Amino acid sequence: MKIAVCAKQIPDPANEITYNDGSIVRPEEQVLDDTDRYGIEVALQLKEKFDAEVTIISMGPSGTQKGLQQALQMGADKAIFVDDDSLKGANSLMTANVLSELAKSSFADIVIFGTESTDGYSGTVPQQVSRYLDLECISYVKAIEVDDSVTLTRQTVEGSEKLNMPEKCVISVTAGGVEPRYPNFKDIMAAKSKPIEQVSLSDLNISSNQNLEFIDIESVESSKSGDKIIDEGEAYQEIVNKLKELKVI
Amino acid sequence: MKTLIIGEIINNNLSSGTLEILNKTKSLDLDTQVITIGSDDNPSIGLDDYKQTYLKRQSNSLNLSKAVNKISEIIVNENISLILGSSTYMCRDIIAALSVDLNSSPVSNVVDFALESGHVSTVNSINGGESLYKTKINSDNALLLIRPKAFDPIEVNFNDTYETIDLDGSDLEVFDIFIEEKSGPQLEDSKVVISAGRGMVEKENLELIETLATKLNAAIGGTRAIVDAGWMPYSQQVGQTGKTVKPDVYIACGISGATQHQVGMKDSKFVIAINKDEEAPIFQLADLGIVGDTLSVIPKLNENI
Ligand SMILES: Cc1cc2nc3c(=O)[nH]c(=O)nc-3n(C[C@H](O)[C@H](O)[C@H](O)COP(=O)(O)OP(=O)(O)OC[C@H]3O[C@@H](n4cnc5c(N)ncnc54)[C@H](O)[C@@H]3O)c2cc1C
Ligand SMILES: Nc1ncnc2c1ncn2[C@@H]1O[C@H](COP(=O)(O)O)[C@@H](O)[C@H]1O
Repeated sequence: MKIAVCAKQIPDPANEITYNDGSIVRPEEQVLDDTDRYGIEVALQLKEKFDAEVTIISMGPSGTQKGLQQALQMGADKAIFVDDDSLKGANSLMTANVLSELAKSSFADIVIFGTESTDGYSGTVPQQVSRYLDLECISYVKAIEVDDSVTLTRQTVEGSEKLNMPEKCVISVTAGGVEPRYPNFKDIMAAKSKPIEQVSLSDLNISSNQNLEFIDIESVESSKSGDKIIDEGEAYQEIVNKLKELKVI
Repeated sequence: MKTLIIGEIINNNLSSGTLEILNKTKSLDLDTQVITIGSDDNPSIGLDDYKQTYLKRQSNSLNLSKAVNKISEIIVNENISLILGSSTYMCRDIIAALSVDLNSSPVSNVVDFALESGHVSTVNSINGGESLYKTKINSDNALLLIRPKAFDPIEVNFNDTYETIDLDGSDLEVFDIFIEEKSGPQLEDSKVVISAGRGMVEKENLELIETLATKLNAAIGGTRAIVDAGWMPYSQQVGQTGKTVKPDVYIACGISGATQHQVGMKDSKFVIAINKDEEAPIFQLADLGIVGDTLSVIPKLNENI
């Protein structure tokens, strides 16, 4: 079994995001998107049972490759990435186009995603890749039971449903369903000798284009200057008074 | 402009998200039809003034790709330019797949859109709602995923006249379908919402919230942190990846106020926040902020209401 996990390097979420000409400004050092740790964890559970090979695939400025290293430290076997200036500000379709080509080149049977990235959160890339690959997308997976067969539980609007994982498919994993593992010192050292390979964009078959034109960004003023009261035992009374005033009680 | 809305069914009716988009396309005078996907037997989804087509899925198989094939065919045959859906699980899946067929990247998290000299322009929320991003769509087809509550729902009469197309199942069998029981006031339409965050300290303390909710006839929500921790089902998550609420009163109990949470509640009319950290970002949104311990303030509220 060959598994590809799409994982993104993003600016450290502890810092404020800044934009230049409609694109996120990406520092040299980017980190692994936490959202993608869930997908990697699912892949590693499959790897343990079925002896699968797990390849991380990623698109975007590679910089110090810290995020890719973090993915390898968790236990993935290797990483491949595309880093090309012409992809700056790539829309979700183009991103999916590139990732699906990488998935093909790694002969992946199962391609795993997070449900939405922390910085871009278009939330459409997994389904777009599944369409490019002509595979079903088992989206919003929130639990996995690995036995001789694999049972996936999907989150639905109304509740949940289960499916058996087919031999080939795309999966998106919601945050919180599985507990991503933390690498220990040995894992961190081992990751240093794992292969990271850059693939050239010109070797891929890209048919999508940049149909979305950036016009403007405006910040939303959302702060209110409401009352702030330090509770010294009686602050509940303020809430009760307010609820009466608002005719809730 | 020929427009298609991907409709969704909730409780045998068209979802509020569908009706919200319909109101917007009406105000822009767009030539709109609806294709609704569901698996209910005879939903009441026909619309007096709009063409409605029902794509009926089999609930025991995951066959969204079959629905996408059918919709793609209709879009091409009928020369539809604008395709709209709510940012819900199903519509996200459908519109994402359609974007590949139509070779046109969709815009997600749209909060407004307009037509300008034949082009669709959109406003979408980025950075957890901290900024608005404006885009012009230059392709023949425009695909938009609209955030719930971006518009008010249209008032329409439903009827039983619509065409039904039965979709084949796929090989992917679905089993153990679980429908969460819904009782009490629902998040989407309650006038009062009380939400809990990690500052409730332990799952058991949610009883305090339940007591207060019963007294105020309020719906209960939560942050992703506590949903992930299994304190509450996902259907109660408020925020970017959960529900968007706009109640008259929103009471945030032990919630830090991350942007991803704010985006789901910041349009509430009156926000009350209880948090022991004076610097918590939630206070920037609060009309009334109480710097204090949830476990001491809420029991007193319960005693005095
Ligand atoms: C892509 C993405 C999507 C996300 N989507 C969502 C979403 O839809 N909804 C969402 O909510 N989050 C979402 N998040 C997560 C979000 O970033 C925050 O992590 C989450 O909202 C934090 O939840 P919290 O406020 O409960 O916990 P914390 O941030 O841990 O805050 C707990 C607060 O409780 C206070 N506190 C602790 N003890 C007490 C006490 N005894 N009394 C009073 N106050 C106390 C603390 O001061 C603190 O401010 C998303 C994140 C990502 C990356
Ligand atoms: N540039 C990228 N490189 C690798 N994976 C990505 C990239 N962008 C998106 N993804 C994957 O797609 C998922 C959804 O991202 P998004 O559509 O941006 O919300 C993420 O959780 C990743 O698994």
